[in-house]
Amino acid sequence: MSEIDSDKAPMTPEEQKVYQARQKQRAIIMACLLLFMVVLFYLITIVKIGSGS
Amino acid sequence: MTTASHTIQGLASAKDLFALTKPRVMSLVIFTALCGLLAAPGDIHPVIAFTAILAISLGAGASAALNQWYESDIDAIMKRTSQRPLPAGRMDRETALHFGIGLSVFSVLLMGVAVNWFSAIFLAFSIFFYAVVYTIWLKRSTPQNIVIGGAAGAFPPAIGWAAVTGDVTMMPFLLFAIIFFWTPPHFWALALFMNSDYSKAGVPMMPVVAGRQSTRKQIFGYSLILAAVAIAPFAFGLAGVVYGAVAIVLSGIFCALAWRVCRSNTTRPDDMGSEKRLFKFSILYLFALFAAVVADRIIMA
Repeated sequence: MSEIDSDKAPMTPEEQKVYQARQKQRAIIMACLLLFMVVLFYLITIVKIGSGS
Repeated sequence: MTTASHTIQGLASAKDLFALTKPRVMSLVIFTALCGLLAAPGDIHPVIAFTAILAISLGAGASAALNQWYESDIDAIMKRTSQRPLPAGRMDRETALHFGIGLSVFSVLLMGVAVNWFSAIFLAFSIFFYAVVYTIWLKRSTPQNIVIGGAAGAFPPAIGWAAVTGDVTMMPFLLFAIIFFWTPPHFWALALFMNSDYSKAGVPMMPVVAGRQSTRKQIFGYSLILAAVAIAPFAFGLAGVVYGAVAIVLSGIFCALAWRVCRSNTTRPDDMGSEKRLFKFSILYLFALFAAVVADRIIMA
């Protein structure tokens, strides 16, 4: 992924670097959000089972 | 498109996606929704309560994203909004649209699955109302736009209440009415000293269409209705003396400040001290009133 793809014409090497950095940042945030949702849905399930609804 | 290089092939930054949800507006949504939830009779598990507030916040963020998707043209003209991600060229419109729709669907499903489907439908309706009825349909066509927009902003406490009880009774309706009648004096006070921006963007804001003096009279008129609605929960026995005292004192101050605005006839924004004071006080007023609803319930219980 770190290699510069020269076929992507509109992007200069600098732009591609920024693009990849942004991709990485978004991927990390998305992973954190997914993890948060997994925990939240686990807790919701436990509460729902506990209350019998 | 000239913005292509700025948006870096359409990949918006996480920061800009967050900015698209109007986090400052969301703080008021979270607060009023939480107050509605805490004031409602009945028990709700803290995890479900947290999920309900999360869903309402995400729904508000989705509405804000859809609003900015549709309004990027006028946002670009107004100084206050020109640095938002879309008019500043840091994000393309399609991203904002997809983000807004995705967040809407997710927030409604989350509310339905985790809390109850009545509040989920209520939440879906509030998103539809803000994004379609207000933003797309009425904002650009009537000077009463703020009154209608106020209704959209007034849903959160009622949804918070519905998350606990699964229905809507007199009290959540009054909480809705408080924000509904609070919005015109709050926003028109701002619009009076920000007048030039709205006229430039061609938005039929009340001071632009009906003139400053008519707007000032309407601010005072709405303040009187607001005072009556704010005191109503106490008068009808739905809230106790703690809330009653706060509502009467703060509404009195609100009406006094609105009366000063009504009597003013200055045209220079620099001289609009009374408008600025009313605007600032209106924010404190709403926070204090909703905090009093919760405090009253805790003390009375």
